[in-house]
Amino acid sequence: MFFIPGFVIAIATFPGVIVHETAHLFFCRIFKLAVYDVCFFRFGNPAGYVIHERTNNFRALFFVSMGPFLVNTVLCILFCTAAFLPVWVLKVDDYLAYFFYWLGLSIGMHAFPSTGDLSNLWQVAPALAKIGNVWAVLSVPLIGLLYVLNFGRIVWADLGYGIAVGILGPLAIFRALARA
Amino acid sequence: MRHATCSQCAVSGPLQTYFAYNNQIYCRDCADLLKFDTVPGAKPVDLIDPTICTRCGADNGDSEYPRLGVLPFCHNCHAYVEANPYPVWLKAGLAALLVLLVIALAHGRRYFSAGRQMYIGEKLVEEGKYAEAVPLLKQTVQIAPGSDKAVLLLAKAALLSGDPITASSAVEGHNHGQGFEQDTDLQEVNSLFSRVGSALEKVKKATDLNTQSGKAAEAATLMRQAADEYPEMPILRKSLPGYEAGVAFEKKDYDRFLELEQEEFRLLPESGMAAGGVASALACKYAVTGDAVWKKQSEDMLEKSRLLSHSPEDQKDFEEFAERTRYRLETRRIIDKPEYDRKFRSATSQGQH
Repeated sequence: MFFIPGFVIAIATFPGVIVHETAHLFFCRIFKLAVYDVCFFRFGNPAGYVIHERTNNFRALFFVSMGPFLVNTVLCILFCTAAFLPVWVLKVDDYLAYFFYWLGLSIGMHAFPSTGDLSNLWQVAPALAKIGNVWAVLSVPLIGLLYVLNFGRIVWADLGYGIAVGILGPLAIFRALARA
Repeated sequence: MRHATCSQCAVSGPLQTYFAYNNQIYCRDCADLLKFDTVPGAKPVDLIDPTICTRCGADNGDSEYPRLGVLPFCHNCHAYVEANPYPVWLKAGLAALLVLLVIALAHGRRYFSAGRQMYIGEKLVEEGKYAEAVPLLKQTVQIAPGSDKAVLLLAKAALLSGDPITASSAVEGHNHGQGFEQDTDLQEVNSLFSRVGSALEKVKKATDLNTQSGKAAEAATLMRQAADEYPEMPILRKSLPGYEAGVAFEKKDYDRFLELEQEEFRLLPESGMAAGGVASALACKYAVTGDAVWKKQSEDMLEKSRLLSHSPEDQKDFEEFAERTRYRLETRRIIDKPEYDRKFRSATSQGQH
């Protein structure tokens, strides 16, 4: 496994960082949480952040923390769907398609919630699930899975996720539409 | 601004620079020296000065600022933090992203269409419906001539539906037939090309032989072999009676000659050449019997051949054999093409009997 400095990855995939932080901010606004500070992109670790008011509302915490996972994944699938066929199947030298695929993968690669986001959720989700909080019950498996996968960042699990979503998502959509 | 005093070193300072841990207050220096692990689960907490704005640091003297959550904010910062405004550049960026998404989806439409044609074409190939697959796969290859999968599928479908020209041009369009990934699909298409190539080579030889005197039997044998080798190209089998007619002509068996030419015309009713073959055989019958009925039929058939010869190439062929057939009808002399050429033309034109 080769090492690429984080800032290089952040620069190469900067749209994903911005979309990730925007999704955090968006859900903060939806749930009316005060945002103390926002950084959409910087040359550092983390490459972006949103510092917001604490909340005891698990649904708000879930969406603010997992919002980027949902938003980035959907955008990744949409952009990659538009570029999947020319890039992977038809092998067409269409630079615009490659640009869209890069954009999709950049966004998909930053879908993973950060360790901090997952820790916040993991601290409260199991206890709330035990007392029957529906959102907590539903989200515990996903949070657990992401929590484990998050350790895989060291072996490019985030890039792997982006590629998997950017290939399997469009493939599923194409197959479904092609049959229609 | 409020102040605090460290419980360890008794130094006083601004409250927001101190920490609370286990009901004690610590300055930063002492906090750095302490190990905060004496109380399980407890963590040091930043102290908050309610008279200092968290965002801009404005000092409100002794009066506390209103809090948002647990943090104090001055009036301006309170309104700003509560509103969470999106920066203008971000709004513009998100709008651009949406525009790009629309462009991407619109741009991808033609590829989706090409991909869909390939998907359906592949299913048809799997079901053995090769002729139905060809037009669909052609559309895909028009958009993606470099796609191994599309080109190989089209080549396979075209070869197996008797259309080697489409197969060849598809492969030629893929980087002049180079750069294919070596896999079983390529091997299968290569093997088809070599079978078809061998059959077409025989067709070429048969066609050449057919223009020479005394070679009709050899030409017919080669044509039969080609038709057996490449049964997916029906025109080869349909042309066989025409070649066998050549054998009958050489044997001067004009009844059989006529029978076979009529059989070929039955199989290829749109072919001006096949109609011309019948006219030629009828002219032979007239030449040997002198019965004007054969002559009339031959002339009628020649006219039909003219009407069926649409392309410039077909018209050229028609002119060539029509001239010989008319000669036969006028003189009642039966000579083959090479002899006619020797007598009346330079020996370069093509034709049959």
